[in-house]
This record gives sequence, C-alpha cells and structure tokens, in this order.
Amino acid sequence: MATSLLIGAQDADRFERSRRVNWIDMEAVQRKKCLVVGAGALGNEVVKDLVLSGFRRITVVDMDHVVRSNLNRCLFFRESDVAGGASKASTVAERAKELYPEVEILAIEARIEDLAEGEFRAHDLVFGCLDNIAARMHLNAHSYLCGIPYIDGGTSSSSGKVQVVLPPDTPCLQCATNRTHSRVLEKRYSCSGSEVSYFEPKLAAEITTTSIIAAIQVREGLKIVSGLRNECLKHIMFYNGLKNTSEVLEVPLDEDCPVHPR
Amino acid sequence: MSVHIRVRNAETGSTVDMELEGENTVHEIIEGAAGYWEKDPGAYVIRRGKRLLKGQNTVLESGIAEADELELLPDPEGG
Repeated sequence: MATSLLIGAQDADRFERSRRVNWIDMEAVQRKKCLVVGAGALGNEVVKDLVLSGFRRITVVDMDHVVRSNLNRCLFFRESDVAGGASKASTVAERAKELYPEVEILAIEARIEDLAEGEFRAHDLVFGCLDNIAARMHLNAHSYLCGIPYIDGGTSSSSGKVQVVLPPDTPCLQCATNRTHSRVLEKRYSCSGSEVSYFEPKLAAEITTTSIIAAIQVREGLKIVSGLRNECLKHIMFYNGLKNTSEVLEVPLDEDCPVHPR
Repeated sequence: MSVHIRVRNAETGSTVDMELEGENTVHEIIEGAAGYWEKDPGAYVIRRGKRLLKGQNTVLESGIAEADELELLPDPEGG
C-alpha cells in the first residue's frame, strides 16, 4: 500500500523543531523530573525554558509572595498577583501550565530547608534559582548526598554565573567558597539570645542577565538528560554582561569539603 | 621572602599592588583587595589564570609567584 504524505503534519507536533536538534533526547526530556528551587526571576525563566523545551514533570519550591519590584524580570507575574499577594511558586506553576497544558507542575510553598529528603530523591535534576548563600549551600549538600545533578545560577547586576555539580565527579558549590561567603552568612543571620534576625539586602537585577543565566542552566539540564554529561560545565562559568563575555574558571576539588564523602 | 603581586578589580579594571609573605592566605588577599576598593559586603572569589584560588591556602600552597596578576570577582548571589 502506498504511504500517503500528510502535508502540514509536522507543524501539528509541538516539539517537532526540538526533535530536529540531533543531540536532544526528547523522550528523556519528557520523562525526567526537575526540581526548581526559587520562583523569583531565575525561577521564572528556568521554568519557562524547561516547559518550552518539553520537560513535563516539574516541582517548583518557594516560600515567598509576589511584590511589585519582581515585575521588571518575572515573565509569569502580573500586577494582579501583587495586589492579591499571590504565592510565587503557585503562580509560576499556574502560568507555566498555560504555556504547555500537558505539564505536570507541582508548587510547594515552603523554605527549601523544610523539604524532606524524599522530595530530593524523587527528582532527576535540581535547579538552584536562589538569592542567598545559605539556601544554596543547603541545596548543594542535599543534591550531592542524594547523587542528583545540581545546576546553580546566580546573578548580580550585569554579572552572572552557572555551576554544574555532577556528584561524585565534580567539585561542589562549597568547594568554591571562602571567608567572604562565611561573612555574608554571619551578616545575614544575627542571633541575640533566642531571637534570630535575617537581613536580606536588595541586589541589582535586570531581565537580560537573568535570561542568559537561566538559559544556560536549562541548556546544561538538557545535556545531562540527553546523556551528554561529558559536555557539561564541570566548573563555574562567569558571565560579564557589560562585555558580553564568559569564561569557565576551574574550581579545585576541596579535600576538606564537608559535602564530599571520604 | 616577600612576593609582589598585582590584583585587578574585575568590575572596574583598576589594580592594587600587594606585598605578600609565603604564609599569607588567599582569604587575606581577597579581604585586603575588597577592603581597599571598599566593596559592598558580599561574596568574592579570586582567580589566578583560569583557576579560582582556595581561600584557606597560603601564597606558597597556591603557587602565587613574583609579579603574578590575580583578579577579584564578585560571586553573584542574586536569583
């Protein structure tokens, strides 16, 4: 029997163009489960890129609510979310589903420190979209100990960085810290008797740097699930948005790092 | 024996010269440079060529040599 050619059939497939990228394993992309921690600027962009890339199983964690100053860089947030004090995680989940109705996206309104270890183990990839060192270190340690690849992003004004941690092969975030990181932690958490206060400085941020860093994070995730771990960043990529240059700097694996099992 | 190095500020391009002893640590270089430029309190890292230096290592352990140029970079914390 002759095969009939259905003109236009290719354009009926949402991911037809993605399937043409020969290194992307779309079957794996649609099967693997991603944990996105932080639903602020990076979290918005990472979830958008994950959903448009075809990831269908996503968990988003954030304890915070939408405020007006988020609106210069958060695709999924609206003015109406500010008025209603909407949850960042739930809003991202709801709007991402509008982009791709088949996505199974779970919102968890909680601090990352409150997430049970089982939640980590239920995922194949972890994306760090956080705004503080303490939460990053927590996520780094838990992902490492669970053996799950961790892709961390960070931005400041026009600079950014991405670090991919592939346990047990690569250095982790803790390996790249020094006393200035400890001093930031000391400054943020001050204890007096039974009280602990938290100081969070407002950092310069704009969407173009955020978009670039988030895109690199998701690109690394696509490589990992497509079996291209060897092509991933193994150290830290620093991005200079003023010069539009990037450079990968080697992080020596710290033998004394508490995260690495000896 | 002293080692003379130059540290560059990655954000502005300006430089500062330092005289170090072998037992000085990378922590001290980072904090010295950040203090000199009155940087905002935040996290910084320092590179020698393509490698980030470990904070707790000494000048000798880091292989820092006479006339080396290091670069101080902010470690972006925002999300």
